Amino acid sequence: MKSERSHKAQKLIDRMGQKLTRQMVLSLTACVHCGMCTESCHYVLANPGDPTYAPAYKADQLRKFFKRHIDWTGRVFPWWVNAKSIYRDEELEKLKDIVFGRCTNCRRCTVNCPMGVDFATLNRMARGLLVHVGIMPEGVAVVSKEQWELGNQMGVLKEEYLETIEWQEEELQEEMEDPEAKIPIDKMDADIVYTINPREIKHDPRTILEAAKIFYAAGENWTMPSEGWDMTNFGLFSGDDDLAGACARRVYEQVERLRGKKLVMSECGHGYRSTRCEGPNWSQKDVEFEMEGSVITMWRYVKEGAIKVDKTKNTGSYTYHDSCNNARSCGMTEKPRELLHSLVDDFREMYPNRADNYCCTGGGGAMSMSEYRTDRLRSAKIKADQLKATGADYVVTSCHNCVDGLTDLIKHYNLDMKVRQLVTLTANALIVK
Amino acid sequence: MSDLLYFSEHTLQEASLIFMAVVYVIRIRWIMSFTATQERQPATGRGVEDPSKGKKYSLANIAMPWAMESSRTHPFFYIQFVVFHLGVVAAIALSFIIPYGPGLLDSSFITVLLQIFIGGAFIVGIMRLYRRITDVYIRALSSPDDYFSLLLLTVWFAFAFISIPNDISGGEGHLLTYFILTAFFLIYVPFSKISHYLYYPFARYYIGKSFGRRGVFPIKKI
Repeated sequence: MKSERSHKAQKLIDRMGQKLTRQMVLSLTACVHCGMCTESCHYVLANPGDPTYAPAYKADQLRKFFKRHIDWTGRVFPWWVNAKSIYRDEELEKLKDIVFGRCTNCRRCTVNCPMGVDFATLNRMARGLLVHVGIMPEGVAVVSKEQWELGNQMGVLKEEYLETIEWQEEELQEEMEDPEAKIPIDKMDADIVYTINPREIKHDPRTILEAAKIFYAAGENWTMPSEGWDMTNFGLFSGDDDLAGACARRVYEQVERLRGKKLVMSECGHGYRSTRCEGPNWSQKDVEFEMEGSVITMWRYVKEGAIKVDKTKNTGSYTYHDSCNNARSCGMTEKPRELLHSLVDDFREMYPNRADNYCCTGGGGAMSMSEYRTDRLRSAKIKADQLKATGADYVVTSCHNCVDGLTDLIKHYNLDMKVRQLVTLTANALIVK
Repeated sequence: MSDLLYFSEHTLQEASLIFMAVVYVIRIRWIMSFTATQERQPATGRGVEDPSKGKKYSLANIAMPWAMESSRTHPFFYIQFVVFHLGVVAAIALSFIIPYGPGLLDSSFITVLLQIFIGGAFIVGIMRLYRRITDVYIRALSSPDDYFSLLLLTVWFAFAFISIPNDISGGEGHLLTYFILTAFFLIYVPFSKISHYLYYPFARYYIGKSFGRRGVFPIKKI
């Protein structure tokens, strides 16, 4: 019975009305179904002939509710404009598989839409509406819960964090042959407050050591906070603006507590976008201090001569993968390349690149949604072909998520290639007196 | 000229135009009733971040086929877009020229120009209809409004084309149909996808403002 709408479906419709902004309404009304976005999506390219992967088709899954309940023609003549309401929980589950499983919110379709429709923002909104009624992939629920409860998305306890930093500090002292070398925690009035991705604590503490070496070599007055150190933000992926605002605010408040002059975020595309670009909007907070991605910090050190590097230490050939969040949402495309040019001899550009680059296919939280792995890796063929065409030994990226996404697809497609981050190459090329 | 044709060319058109204008004002007020998201963060990007530059780039996108991969890699589709929209402009202009400045049609240059634009748009309309029916991706997206709007415009182009000489020696049927279709078009437009041109400047303005502030627009191509 169509008139019997489930409680969740009703809540979702009510919530949509509350979440609409002018930009979203324009994205919902402006689409002319021209199909120009279709070929911009790696899911479409890897699944030829299946229109359900097309960005406009996916956006229409939200647009049809909007038309049915908010827009005028759809309220009077729904069948004429494909306006439809939602009634059953099964329909919500189907919507979940589309917005979480068939889109990485990479925004490539957005920059290719002649009308200026921001598909990725619509998709994020649809995710947020589903999360509001408790419908999301299990991985999204688990990670969101950990970020709400523990303040980081990998369930890292404070003791574990501090012990790992201490361990890396010992490594730093050994490598620098300086017992006074420190990774300062909660140092007041530091010039830089350095925040990281919890993946670095959990799986890759080497990158913390590498960053510490660079700060040490530059003679930087820096610190890491004991709380609010996770600059990632699962709210960006889940569409939960409340979580997103809380995560961003948590980081900002620590910088304020420590009276830090600048917040620097380690190499993480979504963390950079969330904290640097979206966070002040989500948290409704005017941030008084400067914010900078560590790529820019390293670029600055090299440019200003604060550190010396020897590019011959990084042997082999390198290409650069632009993280979607860095390039397409924050315009960070040139400084990583300039830094990379100072670190390696053999750089090979990937095509297309910068804001036209293809997603690593692990974006939008896809790495946490194991139920969509098969689809994700099939769609990763586009990226795999792009990587292969460079003939490079290494693909460099400034994003932890991309590291995982690229590593997964390199393994799946048996590519003879390794993934590196700029922090690793910079630390390796360091000339320490 | 019959009273019916005179009524269609003048009173009907004017009433339809007023109706469309009123509905558009209501529509714009409706859009403005939604709160616009404010960007709180300082500008970022690659050193060229400038919201006003981003807005201009975004709004000029329509005339820069090289700016987007989707138009750069489909130049023929972009040409179709240009021809189709020039045809729209020409057919609208014709609906004013015939009643208010028929003398302009004495110029063979203007007549031929209108015929080229409107005739070209008619051909593109047929091609677009074929594409919408046969392309699996476009068909999956299409609503009855998508088909009807395209069909309406294509038929309108056909009648505009044969109305260009403004010649009633062989009867008034074609002119009458053109003006009645124009009136219907004006009334139907605000409720259909054809009103996309109303949203275009707003949508591109906001995306340009945001991407300009973040240094994404203008997109750097290498």
